Amino acid sequence: MAHVPLSPIGRPRDAFLDEASFGRYREAMAERTGTLEQRRDEIAAGWGDKYVQRVHQKGKRTARERIEALRDEGTPLREVGTFVNHGVSFGKLKSPAAGVVTAFCQVAGRWTMVIANDNTVASGSWWPQTPEKIERAQEMALRLRIPVVYLVDCSGLFLPEQSRSFPGRTGAGHIFKKNSELSAHGVPQIAGVFGDCIAGGGYMPIISDRVVMTEQAYMVIAGAALIKGAKSQHLSSLDIGGPEVHVHQSGCADARVPDDDAALALIRREVEKLSTPAVDFYRHDADGADPFFPAFELDGLFPPDHRMTYEVEEVLARLVDRSLFWEVLPDRGKEMVVGVGRVNGLYMGFVANRQGLIEDPDGRDGKKPSGILYREGIAKVSAFSRACNDDGIPIVWLQDISGFDIGVDAERQGLLGYGSSLIYTNSTNDVPMFTVLLRKASGAGYYAMAGLPYEPVVQLSTPMTRQSVMEGRTLAIAAFNTKLDDDFEIVTEDPDERAEIEKGMAETEARIEGDMDPYKAASQMDTDEIVEPSELRAWLETLAEAAYQSSGSRRIKNPRIWSLHDLAALTEVRG
Amino acid sequence: MFRKLLIANRGEVAVRIAKAAHDAGIATVGVVSSADLGAPWTEVMDETVCIGGPSPKESYLRMDAVVQAAVQTGCAALHPGWGFLAENARFAALCEQNGVTFVGPRPATMDRMGLKWPAKVAMRAAGLDLTPGSDGLLNDVEEAVAVAESTGYPVILKADAGGGGRGMRICRSEADVREAFPSARAEAIAAFGNGALFLESYVTGGRHIEVQVIGDGVGGAVHLYERECSIQRNHQKLIEESPSPALTAEQREELGARAANAAASIAYAGAGTIEFLADPDSGRLSFMEMNTRLQVEHPVTELVTGVDIVREQLRIAAGGALGFTQDGVALEGHAIECRINAEDPSDGFRPTPGTITTFDVPHDRGPGRVRVDSHVTAGETVPPYYDSLIAKIITHAASRDEAIETMVRTLEGARIEGVATTIPLHLAVLASDEFRSGEYDTKSIPGWPT
Repeated sequence: MAHVPLSPIGRPRDAFLDEASFGRYREAMAERTGTLEQRRDEIAAGWGDKYVQRVHQKGKRTARERIEALRDEGTPLREVGTFVNHGVSFGKLKSPAAGVVTAFCQVAGRWTMVIANDNTVASGSWWPQTPEKIERAQEMALRLRIPVVYLVDCSGLFLPEQSRSFPGRTGAGHIFKKNSELSAHGVPQIAGVFGDCIAGGGYMPIISDRVVMTEQAYMVIAGAALIKGAKSQHLSSLDIGGPEVHVHQSGCADARVPDDDAALALIRREVEKLSTPAVDFYRHDADGADPFFPAFELDGLFPPDHRMTYEVEEVLARLVDRSLFWEVLPDRGKEMVVGVGRVNGLYMGFVANRQGLIEDPDGRDGKKPSGILYREGIAKVSAFSRACNDDGIPIVWLQDISGFDIGVDAERQGLLGYGSSLIYTNSTNDVPMFTVLLRKASGAGYYAMAGLPYEPVVQLSTPMTRQSVMEGRTLAIAAFNTKLDDDFEIVTEDPDERAEIEKGMAETEARIEGDMDPYKAASQMDTDEIVEPSELRAWLETLAEAAYQSSGSRRIKNPRIWSLHDLAALTEVRG
Repeated sequence: MFRKLLIANRGEVAVRIAKAAHDAGIATVGVVSSADLGAPWTEVMDETVCIGGPSPKESYLRMDAVVQAAVQTGCAALHPGWGFLAENARFAALCEQNGVTFVGPRPATMDRMGLKWPAKVAMRAAGLDLTPGSDGLLNDVEEAVAVAESTGYPVILKADAGGGGRGMRICRSEADVREAFPSARAEAIAAFGNGALFLESYVTGGRHIEVQVIGDGVGGAVHLYERECSIQRNHQKLIEESPSPALTAEQREELGARAANAAASIAYAGAGTIEFLADPDSGRLSFMEMNTRLQVEHPVTELVTGVDIVREQLRIAAGGALGFTQDGVALEGHAIECRINAEDPSDGFRPTPGTITTFDVPHDRGPGRVRVDSHVTAGETVPPYYDSLIAKIITHAASRDEAIETMVRTLEGARIEGVATTIPLHLAVLASDEFRSGEYDTKSIPGWPT
């Protein structure tokens, strides 16, 4: 069967969730998404109006205004790393978005990665984690082979914190290594230089294939402040490294333009010259279409209490085109759902955790809990992941997992080994993988399902994501193991000692709960972005298009020759 | 051309499609519910597959079962007929995904024409007039009020998304608009997650005139002139005719050309119908909607143009070009169709399922010729689960008067017994002065007291 036999998935919302519960879930989610939107707005404001005005007074645009001018009208902007450094202070200063905007941005019909120094935050200087954020964005572009546009306006390192951003393996200099890798892999890079670009800021544009400078821009290894005699000779940095020097004498830039708008128009024209996106070709004559069951309902499908279950098929139904899905290996490892659907016409593989009880002849009352991985499920996911990699089908991992099955049987069955096989598969895959932490992302489950340590191209969290090695309660039990009996009850009868242990366990649990805040994870770059559940479908559209944009850059087999068909044929139920 | 076709429908339309398939040398597979299993009309199929229980939900609407039947019987294509899954883009996509060619336009075209505002935007861009109203979606209630003032009351607020009347409000004053706007928006957000609204003049009455178009899917399209469908009861068409008595020859050519151009502009594939509403006062023709399927009343067009529309649908679905050009389409004479339903018009049109003891419609009564499209034979039981249509009688003659005359004589000579039918209603309408004069609209049924 060379057809991709998608079939209807999902039901109308009122067929599985009553109006009252849906309303309640949605309300609880609205509270969380309200916070998310408010924080996004705060971050987008940078250091505020005063600094915006300062930029305008110089006749320049802010970083976000530049992106707006660059972006195709009516297309979405998908920011990544919005919350890097969120909640962190450097002395009295904050660095919203770590002083740089990184986003998937459509320019001239092509998805690009735009990296724009935020000139409303300390003149676009680099804070601790700013280099890492830039490198992460470069990495995404490298993996997807989509063009990178640098909108450079950077006065160099934020010097008081230089020890945290200069010397390390991912210190500022690593950005230029990434520039080089992008170039080595044939990924087009285009840089606009808009202002003070000192030291690192000066290096950042140079490796790009096209460099355009405005009349206000200069690039220098060191600015006038460090040049002996500069003052007496009335030399400014613009004199030392402005367009007069770099466009005409040094050749370090290609073009000079009067102002920001002219630079942005020129960059758009350069992107237009790149090869035509292959996205429509890879739709194989289908058209993209919305999910039949609307994506907005995703905000009301998840119970606010993370211990309560939902039907993951209903989530999938609201992510794939026309709610059509091909579930592969449906009869094995039922704690997992694996299969293929289209996202805006493009084939994507999905791996998701079932929730609640699943059938198991050996389990209690013929059932066992899902949301964790058993032997068959691990094997199924691994085989599916390998097949998608072989076929060039990008994989979307939808995590809501507590971990691996544990216990005597699990070890006898060799779950360590099966798990390692899956880890090996995901570690060596080169197909783009995108990971979504829907809710729980715990323990080895987080690793096995392509969590961030396995370098998915992008990892998204939601406002309800709980990332940790284990839930707080479990971790407290592990930490106080010596004080507990077989049923994890406190052994001692001494009231004082008991109280102390109870307090200790409660504190441990509370600390872990705090650590599971998705904003904390996003702040320290343990996840790339936080999105609302109802935004997931639109995000996947962007990621799918970006993954299929550049023909010839990776293996993309047509569906006739998918090895996935072999897998399905060999596991079809006979008769 | 395809070798084997699945007909995803029942009754009269299934028989009609089977006929076109046989004429083209295509084998047919019918899907039937358990209620239709063994019905005499199913004998026209080369094979039948029973796909479930009597209610449409258990059978004719089960998209996965229908596609599975097509795949398992080796059908290359599927004709959806009308009703059931005919305008379900998800179903069309499912067919294509499983290698079964859906006889109809692309799913994306069905999507676009199935949504209110996108359809209007596309058709306006193609040069069709819209009902006066907002120029796009409304930003706020003030804009709604301003538009309503300039359009004149009554107006109707409509939600861009979804259907089923949700988010829809008729407003007769500014106060109505102010009251309705927030509640319509809230209702649309709750139901569809999208509170976008637009506003149009609310027209009552007027004439329903529709143009049959056929597109080749790559930007070519022709029209087969119009049908007049203003004799309606609760939006159900009862009598259709072609050409419309309301248009002059010049208006007819212009309307047809504009409709064909609109179909071409969206690279329409297959047969479709663009519906217009003629304003009761000005006669201005505004785009209402496009039906992306074969219409029940297509025979009147076939008789006046000589084109087999189902045959053309199959030809285009199989990747073929249009079988003729616009210049090759000539309008000859006049055709009228009466829909014969198993309903009792003297008892509030109550459906009258039961066994048909006699079914005899004469073909030789007129100056004109008679076509009967039906799946019914004497001795057959009309099941209660489906549409009550049992036959369509179509007459064709050199003039409108002769077509009417032929119809009257045919209906008077028809003997359908065992169930009540709508024939008395048709005879009353055909005898009325309004119908005879051609001066009628959708507001009332001429010759039939409400």
